[in-house]
Amino acid sequence: MSRKATMGTRAPGGMGGPISSSSSSAIPDIGPEDMCPVCKTMRYLNKEMKFLINPECYHSMCSACVDRIFNAGPNQCPHAGCHKTLRRKGFRAAFFGDLSVEREVDIRRRVAAVFNQQEDDFVDLQAYNDYLQKVEDLTFDLVNGSDAQRSAAEAELQRWEAEHKADIERNRKAGREADEQSRRRRAAEQEAVRQRRLEAAREAQEEKQERARNREAELESLAKGQVPADATQRVQLKRRGQANRAVEAAAAAAIAATSAAGVVSSGDGGRLSIRGLKEKKKAPAPEGPYDPFGGPVFVPTRYKLHPALRHHDSDRYRNDSQHRTGGFSFDDYYARVMFEAFAGLGVFIEDEKEVGIGLSASEVVGMAAGLAAVSSDRMDLD
Amino acid sequence: MATEDARYRETSQYQLWSFSPTQLAAMREKTNTAARARISERLLSYPAPPTAPSSNNVSAPTSNANTPDPDGNGTPRQPTLPDFLTPAEENLIVNFYTSELLRAADVFGFPEHIKSTGAVFFRRFYVTNSIMTYPPQEIMIVALFFGVKAEGGFAQVGDFVKTFNKKSEEEILAGEFLLFQGLRFSLEVKHPFRALRGAVMELSALGDVDARRVEGAERRAREILQFSPLMTDAYFHYTPSQIMMAALSLADRGLAERLMQKTFHFVAPASGADTPMSGGEGKREQAGEDKAAIIGSLIRDKVLGAIEACRDILSKELPERREHWTNKSFIKSQVGPVRKKLNKCRDPERWNLVELQRTRREQASKKNGSDDEDDGADKGKFEDDGAVFGEPLSARDIKRRKVKTEGLQDPFGGAL
Repeated sequence: MSRKATMGTRAPGGMGGPISSSSSSAIPDIGPEDMCPVCKTMRYLNKEMKFLINPECYHSMCSACVDRIFNAGPNQCPHAGCHKTLRRKGFRAAFFGDLSVEREVDIRRRVAAVFNQQEDDFVDLQAYNDYLQKVEDLTFDLVNGSDAQRSAAEAELQRWEAEHKADIERNRKAGREADEQSRRRRAAEQEAVRQRRLEAAREAQEEKQERARNREAELESLAKGQVPADATQRVQLKRRGQANRAVEAAAAAAIAATSAAGVVSSGDGGRLSIRGLKEKKKAPAPEGPYDPFGGPVFVPTRYKLHPALRHHDSDRYRNDSQHRTGGFSFDDYYARVMFEAFAGLGVFIEDEKEVGIGLSASEVVGMAAGLAAVSSDRMDLD
Repeated sequence: MATEDARYRETSQYQLWSFSPTQLAAMREKTNTAARARISERLLSYPAPPTAPSSNNVSAPTSNANTPDPDGNGTPRQPTLPDFLTPAEENLIVNFYTSELLRAADVFGFPEHIKSTGAVFFRRFYVTNSIMTYPPQEIMIVALFFGVKAEGGFAQVGDFVKTFNKKSEEEILAGEFLLFQGLRFSLEVKHPFRALRGAVMELSALGDVDARRVEGAERRAREILQFSPLMTDAYFHYTPSQIMMAALSLADRGLAERLMQKTFHFVAPASGADTPMSGGEGKREQAGEDKAAIIGSLIRDKVLGAIEACRDILSKELPERREHWTNKSFIKSQVGPVRKKLNKCRDPERWNLVELQRTRREQASKKNGSDDEDDGADKGKFEDDGAVFGEPLSARDIKRRKVKTEGLQDPFGGAL
């Protein structure tokens, strides 16, 4: 926890400087964390020994060495072959045991601070994804690339930072505002909870006193030879309910007030911090009943199914109890028979396979003429 | 359009196996040409005599209808190409073997729908495959056997082996998948038999038709349906209900016309009273009925035209012609010469189904066994004419090879 806190409040100057040009392979393997590589002090001798690193070069050394070497001002890194000039201010404890991970996280944080566009800054998802891809490529170059790649990526990063200064600043502000907003909301909630708890405690206290008083009154009345009235109890219950409701109302009001204040304050900043919220989808229109066939109508159009439909062959079986089986219905059979008799009568394969389904143009014309003739007849008759 | 028609259009029979006469003729022509090209290529590439006699020896004794061919052994010696069958001759052979198939089904005593399914399978198979490529006398048996299975009958291969004088079950089973491919994997055949029963039910429900007349017509129509549409191309050109109506019309024209009138609400000027809706209260109803009458009569005329055409086709092969197809002199004068010709021009590689299946299996197992090595070399001669079974096979092969060569190097595919 304390380590995290140090990282969070770290001065921006530490990460603002250029990333060290020493490749990840040059980072020393601190392997056994028991000996300071500079002063060779063993943990055995100093239980409180703490290792610090500087993000300039990620060489670790114990806090005693840091004090000793850098208290007087900037000095060279004491590791052999490392000519970086380090400052006391830049030292901090490593959060990760593996320093290459530590370095990557630092780089990523720095890149993310520069490339801080949101998805709704882009016209579509494709553009946003392209952007993310570009950023990731650049980050990868910075972390794992060769020297040339790293310097190119570094240049690109600085160029972008210079070009999009306003955007970056705006986004950063928006992010801070969002953070602030959520922090305030959380604080308000916590405050409400605390209030409730206090209220409940007070309530309980009061109740206790009340009960004690009631008890005394009861005893007193008993002593006087009177029956204790139910009414007092009822009144008490009622009061308790009221009290609870009052507490809830107060809490709700507190939350509303704080959130309103938050909105207003962010409104003062000229920008609403709730960004990227999509509109809620409307509930789909209620569907009709489930149709297992997905559309087709099975009502016959060319024939009617009626009980007079009989066939002498099937009648023989229909009336024979030995031929009756569960699940078999002669009506179904008749329905199928009738369907097969009339299905496809209007399917003209020769035309349809060569021209397409539907009436030919000449037929349509003929039909229209016929219909017109009929309607004109009607008119004349009328 | 009526929902009944829309539902019929969903069937595989309509979608895959319905053609106009010109389309069908073109397909047969194409099949014939393709077979000619392939077979001549094969005959030229296999001039060695040993292949021909061996295939002869295997297939000749197995076919009961095949007459021994005295000069079959001599011809392949010279590399000259034989005479190929014309589409018309192929059609004759298909018809002849269809009649043989129906005869065989009668020997087994199969019901009408099994019999017809077998016959339709046989005819469908030879639309996209040539008689010269696959032996009809074998495919006929396979089609019958497969038809029984497709219709849910219980057939024993042993019975077939016994009846057709085969040596082993293998000879029948070998062609099954081949046939299935040729049928484009659609097994359902819509028959007009049940439809006929529906028509008869509708007629008897009218109440004013003599029951004996209906019964007689049904018997005759059923007889026609069991032979005529199967011996002709009716199943390709017409829907089952149209075929049924045509058969009914051949049996009793009056009844068929009565039924058509009843179906397509045609309001004849004189007899307007017998339609159910003619009680017209309002003008609008009247007008609607007139409209229905116009549209109904137009469609009715068209349907009648289709039925009439189908009737013409069916009347060429009435059940009385059954004897014609088994007539010895007819076989000798018409079928015999064509069959002799066929013996000379058949496909040396495909003719023996057992052998063909064995080779295919071997190839498949070889391919599976040596999956990781490049199989460009053993893409055999069977592979390159995959066109017989349509394009998808070869296209998939190409894809598979592509995956094999490229896929392993970059498991997530190439650069975007």
